[in-house]
Amino acid sequence: MTTTLEHKAPVIKHEGGGLARHQNFLTAMIGGIAGAFIAWAIAHHLLDQNVRTTSDAVAVLTGCGWIVGFWFGIGALNAPFAWLVGKDQTRKDQLYYAGEDQGTKRYWKYCTDHKVVGVQYIVMTMVLLGAGGILAMAIRTELIVPGNHFVNQQVYNGFIAVHGMLMILALIVAVAGPWGNFVVPIMCGAKDMAFPRLNALSLWTLVAAAGLLLTTLAVGSLTMGWVVLAPITDQAGVGMDFFALAILVFTVSTTVAGVNTICTVFTMRTKGMTLERLPIMVWGAIIAAALGLYAFPYFSLVEALQILDRTFSTSFFVGTGGGTGWLQANLFWLMGHPEVYVILIPAVAALFEISAVMARKPVFSYRTAIAGMVGLAGLSILVWAHHMFTTGWAPTLGGPFMVTTELISIPTGLFFLVLIGTLWRGNIWMKLPTVWMFGFIANFIIAGITGIYLSDIPIDNQLHGTMFVTAHFHYVFVGSVLFGAIAALAFWYPKVTGRFLDEKLGRIAFWLAFIGVQVTFMSMFVSGLRGMPRRYSSYSFIFEHTNFITTIGAYMIMAGMLVLGGAVIYCWNHGEPSGSNPWHANSLEWLVSTPPPLENFDVLPVITEDPYNFGKELVRS
Amino acid sequence: MSIDTHSHHDAHADGGHHEPPEVVDGRQRMSIWLFIGGDALTLAALVFTYLYLRGVNTSGHWMSMLGYPGPQLPGGHSWAFYDANVFNGSNPAAPTTIVTGPLSSGLNWLGTVVTAISAGLIWSAERALRVAKNKSAFTMLAALGTIVAFVAILISFHQLSLIPQIYSIHNDSAVMAFTAYGSSMMIIIGAAIVHLMLLVFLGLGLTLRSARGAINVENWYQSRLVRMFWVWVAISAVATSALTTTINTIH
Repeated sequence: MTTTLEHKAPVIKHEGGGLARHQNFLTAMIGGIAGAFIAWAIAHHLLDQNVRTTSDAVAVLTGCGWIVGFWFGIGALNAPFAWLVGKDQTRKDQLYYAGEDQGTKRYWKYCTDHKVVGVQYIVMTMVLLGAGGILAMAIRTELIVPGNHFVNQQVYNGFIAVHGMLMILALIVAVAGPWGNFVVPIMCGAKDMAFPRLNALSLWTLVAAAGLLLTTLAVGSLTMGWVVLAPITDQAGVGMDFFALAILVFTVSTTVAGVNTICTVFTMRTKGMTLERLPIMVWGAIIAAALGLYAFPYFSLVEALQILDRTFSTSFFVGTGGGTGWLQANLFWLMGHPEVYVILIPAVAALFEISAVMARKPVFSYRTAIAGMVGLAGLSILVWAHHMFTTGWAPTLGGPFMVTTELISIPTGLFFLVLIGTLWRGNIWMKLPTVWMFGFIANFIIAGITGIYLSDIPIDNQLHGTMFVTAHFHYVFVGSVLFGAIAALAFWYPKVTGRFLDEKLGRIAFWLAFIGVQVTFMSMFVSGLRGMPRRYSSYSFIFEHTNFITTIGAYMIMAGMLVLGGAVIYCWNHGEPSGSNPWHANSLEWLVSTPPPLENFDVLPVITEDPYNFGKELVRS
Repeated sequence: MSIDTHSHHDAHADGGHHEPPEVVDGRQRMSIWLFIGGDALTLAALVFTYLYLRGVNTSGHWMSMLGYPGPQLPGGHSWAFYDANVFNGSNPAAPTTIVTGPLSSGLNWLGTVVTAISAGLIWSAERALRVAKNKSAFTMLAALGTIVAFVAILISFHQLSLIPQIYSIHNDSAVMAFTAYGSSMMIIIGAAIVHLMLLVFLGLGLTLRSARGAINVENWYQSRLVRMFWVWVAISAVATSALTTTINTIH
């Protein structure tokens, strides 16, 4: 029996909320700016201006003031201080925080409803990708011809660093943020996330961190790339302090979100929702969350050490005091490679989900899919030193790390096996999510194969630091993860808005982006193979033609993203109505009304079968 | 997905979100274990940092600049290291090498023992509420545990002030710096202070909430969550003290 549970929520008039009634994004911005100014004034007044590190200390304290002020302004600190003084929230307060009867205002507030948080993540991801994309266009415009002076070299360095970090942050949350929040709790049969306030905290902490990161562009002097290489960080200006603090704060956001996701899945599943009946997307969300919990402590520590080196004259990464850049490289890449799979796994899991629904077949070898994700997560923590093959660190470990890196191709191969197996002989419905999924498959093959080349020490010795590496990881992040994230957006967009994402505009965006990716990064591979180094704002004339082609391709990708972004905005209110279950899917998020009501279910369902038992009687609209 | 629409409990019949305390307790305990797991990984990274820096400094720079006056720099300038105790901002007569020792083991362990005592008090407070159903004892023990944790913070700040530091002269300007040992101790003690401040916040909350009746014998589980994290902080203090008092010598 397949049933749609329609919402009949009672209208409750309430007066709860207290201070939160006056708090929103605007007060958060005011609070953040005021906090930053107060912290700056105090630090500037108290600290000795003749000490070398004072400007860095002032910058760090100013950044802390921004974060605390932002938290206060948005309302994140209300509940902890109410708890401290023994004043717990009432039911009316909880409903106010959940955004009941507040219409679109709730999207600007510290709202605890997981669906609102999911939508806020969609917007946040688009903003971050948009900002990172603009920087990418500036970088490519600088490189369109050799010796171009579109931006000066210092600004160019800053663009490289901020573009990289913005895109990494955006892609970490691109699938896990919107859909880990919007659909995963409903898929489990839960009324909300396990800790709704922490859920809002993770979102708004990300917003605060992103604000800090964007500020670094204005402050400038970012010489160190997104990997925050030591000891070159010592040469960076105070923008580096904001940069490191932003990452540190971001790790708080992801840790809180990861704990919340895992607790939700393991403690709030509805009756009958056994682990083997969990939609595969849910598995992807918890595996990525667990991997993030492992990886991000290193990220926070390495940034904390950077801040200490710059503000307290410690010597973690400073050679004259006994520190070493290798420590920074180790700590960073202990996080850095697992982070790739924190990004990738949710996108792949979403595609497993999409492939099953669009091919009207169960996920091929469900357990293999889980094993692939677990295997990838497990192996990813054993490969970090392949990023350091050419640094001279522990050469005797090169062989073992080469082997562990190449082993990663096995669970990655399982991904292809599951995807192709699910689609094989399926009655494939070529709608927009399916189109972007096929784009992912094509691009991910190239990303994976070039990754195997780079894991090989002799080849890496030749290609490390060249544009070949840049092209490889852009095939991973743009060609694969971004395509997967867009497929997920197209798939669940009707559940969020009640409307389809426009098929025609979506396909125009797809072809622009797909062809753009091949033009951009294939030519970048050629530049890399010819020896063009990364991160340079000027280059030899022998790389002129390939760089010109790369830039044209990048403009195509941007054009595709503009079309897609326009479609997302336009269709929100003007798209073709989709109904509650446009894909005739069986998982719980499609069986509730659209948009899902507050607390999702009037009556919690009891699950009796898995979500992929597609019957032949289902008729497509 | 096939489903039945039977409710498996009717706790939401009033439109409320009233889950049984044991359900909420289980969920929150899981979250605490996960946070502790993340914190344990941070501790592991700290230990890695400490051991790595000690391991690579086989010829000085770990704890002092003994015998290493610094490299010659272009233009006739040079680095030289001066004892922080004799350098007073004026032009010193001659560079001296610095000999510093490790921080006091006794003080290190004193801070750890005080942290452990505070954990024991919170544990006792939780048992007083959960087993003995004695709310006034809970309030008193929680307050005492919080005060003791605050004492641990003061000890840690005192330790911070004792970390050996050096001044170096770089192009005729004085630069204060910490060696690898001093740097490692700073992050370890700093992390301990952050944790202890969190404990003081939580302990203060338990005390005030109990005094205002927000914690009672029925909802004792909140105190268990705080106790779990408190005990973990004590365990991590023991671990870092054991590390930094046994592996700290100059090569």
